[in-house]
Amino acid sequence: MSAIRSQTLTLLAKDLRLEWRAKARLVAVGVFGLLALVVFSIAVGPDSKALTAGAAGFLVIALLLSSTLALAESFRIEHERRALEGILLLPVRSGAVFYSKAIANTLTLAMLAPGLSLFGVVLYGVELRPAEIGSFFTLWLLAAAGLAAPGTLYAAMTSQLRSRDVLLPLLLFPLVVPVLMASCKAMTLVLAGDPMGQLRSWSLLLLCFDLIYWSLGGILFPYVIEEG
Amino acid sequence: MTEGVIVGGWGFVVAAYCITAVGLVAYAWSLHRRTQQQQARKDKS
Amino acid sequence: MNRRIAPEHWVGLAAVVLILTGSTLGLFVAPAERHMGEVQRIMYVHVPTAWSALLCFTCAFIAAIGSLWTGRERWDATLVGAAEAGVVLNALLLVQGSLWGRATWGVWWDWDVRLTTSLVLLLLFIGVLSLRSFASGSDRRASLTAVAAIVAYVDVPLVYFCVRWWRSLHQIQSSPATVDPLMVLPMRVNAIAMALLSTWFIVRRARLELARRRANETALPDRLPLNEVHHD
Repeated sequence: MSAIRSQTLTLLAKDLRLEWRAKARLVAVGVFGLLALVVFSIAVGPDSKALTAGAAGFLVIALLLSSTLALAESFRIEHERRALEGILLLPVRSGAVFYSKAIANTLTLAMLAPGLSLFGVVLYGVELRPAEIGSFFTLWLLAAAGLAAPGTLYAAMTSQLRSRDVLLPLLLFPLVVPVLMASCKAMTLVLAGDPMGQLRSWSLLLLCFDLIYWSLGGILFPYVIEEG
Repeated sequence: MTEGVIVGGWGFVVAAYCITAVGLVAYAWSLHRRTQQQQARKDKS
Repeated sequence: MNRRIAPEHWVGLAAVVLILTGSTLGLFVAPAERHMGEVQRIMYVHVPTAWSALLCFTCAFIAAIGSLWTGRERWDATLVGAAEAGVVLNALLLVQGSLWGRATWGVWWDWDVRLTTSLVLLLLFIGVLSLRSFASGSDRRASLTAVAAIVAYVDVPLVYFCVRWWRSLHQIQSSPATVDPLMVLPMRVNAIAMALLSTWFIVRRARLELARRRANETALPDRLPLNEVHHD
């Protein structure tokens, strides 16, 4: 167990260094998310009530769309100079490779939170009270984790194939429906008020999905990257 | 919800059965054709 | 050439006979339902389709685990067969349900538990089949397909559980004990018929998959000169 932990941390340091070196890419992904928010507000129209009511949903979708770019990139790097095969030649557990990548992807997506949320608050006329900021960003982190785990697994799978850009969203989107629903619901309750005290239930649900996806990802990842 | 009987609706019933029949037959036909094509390819080689 | 009838064709024949029987019973013999009238007859084909779709996906899930565990191609071929049959049945079930919904609720679609879950299930397994077709050149095709199928199947109870927290419009299942036997019979007959038909679909598709694989693996010509008899 401790072997996986230390290997994960070592690989995580590597992945975070890679992400830092490619920070321009993170900015591009963030801008893409902002563009998505703008497009939603144009599509839904000038009806500010509809925009405010759907704000959490739009933010989550913007996160989802940004994630497809970020996730695909995270494995493109590995395949470019056959780096992944190099790592697998070492006595490294595949689980460690998965968890390090998934954590790095989660952090990348989490870093989009401040920018997208600020934009969302301005564009959609949403009120984010200081007391709620903690809950809001915790939910964002949980949503990012819920997208990153299955996303990392599928990015690893599709990065080996042709038409990978089409396949990743095709596979990922139906899979993360529970995460989308739970995080949308929970974030809406944070932003719009929670008269019936449902926030805890939805948050716990989101946490459960995260745990299930992270466990499943770790178990199945070896089958995806190792030679048959 | 008021309790009542839905009058008619045979159109929906017939549509459902017909679409199901067409769908199942079409898939069975597709399987048959693909198997035949594969057999033909095998016989040719 | 000896043309033996493959055993699964008997299963398919039985399925056709049963489905015609069950549908006739359902359409003409069973009484109209108290509240829904004639529209209820859609259930005699809708429920069996739903059960069979779920059966196919469960079979795909088991085959996927078998494929990862043993690496044997029979499991992979069964997985493909079950996934494809499941997708066909799932698509049909959504159309049937949509017709029923239009007749009873007045809408073609509603975002309640069962419909949302069924749609997501369809999309998930379409994804599995898409992955397979894009992986056609890869030697990891079997394991990638299996992983995708396992994840897809596990996700379904999650979606169900998650959407269930919302209010549901969908019919609550009635237990057979409270239902007129003339209504239970066509349901049961069609259910068996659909299950048998699914079996036929899965076996035929699996055989096709194995035949294709054998054909691709044959790098050398089938007939080496040594085996040929030359008639001069």
